[in-house]
Amino acid sequence: MNVPKDLKFTKTHEWVQLDDDSVIIGITDFAQSQLSDLTYVELPQAGDHIEAEEEVAVLESVKAASDIYAPISGTIVEVNDALDSSPELINTDPYGEGWLLRVTPDNVADLDQLLDADQYEETLPNE
Amino acid sequence: MSEQAAHGWAVTFPDPQPFAPTEALQETLARARYEQRIPDTVLFLQHQSVVTLGRRGRTQHLLVSPDQLHKQGIDFHRAGRGGDVTYHAPGQWIVYPILRLGGLGADAHGYLHNMEEMVIRTCADFDVEAFRVPGKNGAWTEAGKIAAIGFHLKRGITLHGLSFNVDVDLAGFQLIVPCGLAGDPVCSLKQLLGDQTPSLRIVRDRLQHHFESVCGRPLIPRTPANLPV
Repeated sequence: MNVPKDLKFTKTHEWVQLDDDSVIIGITDFAQSQLSDLTYVELPQAGDHIEAEEEVAVLESVKAASDIYAPISGTIVEVNDALDSSPELINTDPYGEGWLLRVTPDNVADLDQLLDADQYEETLPNE
Repeated sequence: MSEQAAHGWAVTFPDPQPFAPTEALQETLARARYEQRIPDTVLFLQHQSVVTLGRRGRTQHLLVSPDQLHKQGIDFHRAGRGGDVTYHAPGQWIVYPILRLGGLGADAHGYLHNMEEMVIRTCADFDVEAFRVPGKNGAWTEAGKIAAIGFHLKRGITLHGLSFNVDVDLAGFQLIVPCGLAGDPVCSLKQLLGDQTPSLRIVRDRLQHHFESVCGRPLIPRTPANLPV
């Protein structure tokens, strides 16, 4: 299972990447593999404020609809519109083209509360 | 919680229920389950006649307008579950398991498989052969789809679930393209077994029995009035 070392993670299987003064948020390779083929993505809008651990998006796969939670509090500056027509990007490239949101954090220091790659890997079931 | 953790609750509603309040109840129970205030809980109920659309459901799969549905005494709702459009009515068992799966979809594959399995085993109890169809969710017989499955995960807790056609007026399915699958017939135990169709109560008991064995969660009865919500 691919867990990039340079990202931060949540127990609910989101990843966060610091990129200048904003962060990019997506779901992990483990999460996409569990949900299997994604068919539909319901994202919030740019300008929305999100609260850490609150629901921000819903991903639907051939198996189930599943909620996605905000890793940190902040304001959404951009959402990945490409997912509207190509939700499968989350399956094929969860850490790249399958990103979900770009957010300006209320407090960048909040990232320190998140899991690092090793800690996240420990939460995953043994294969 | 230790005593509760060993046994889940089975909550059976005697009368057909309107859709919206049971969706609200599931949200409340899912929150309580997440906060570990209740054990895994399975709702068994029938719905009053209603057409529901899943999140990605498209109104083009409704063959009549919501207004026309209402004129026929059929309610219409958009539901939080996965999947497309379906029809519920008395004579169809609805099973809504509020279960902690652990983690996001930590076993979404397994859970879906288990829901299908409990229906397949229940059908087998009445000598009806049911099976999975690759690439589709639910359970089929030679005469058509007998159970629909659509669920939603919130913080690792399942909501929504399955509907199983026992003795339901199949004409309601003529008003929709079930699950968005054109040309896919829907059937019921009644259609297959005629006079030999078991009572709803017997079918409910078999569904619970197979839920308990397939999901490894024994259930004890709890009346709707006794839910701590």
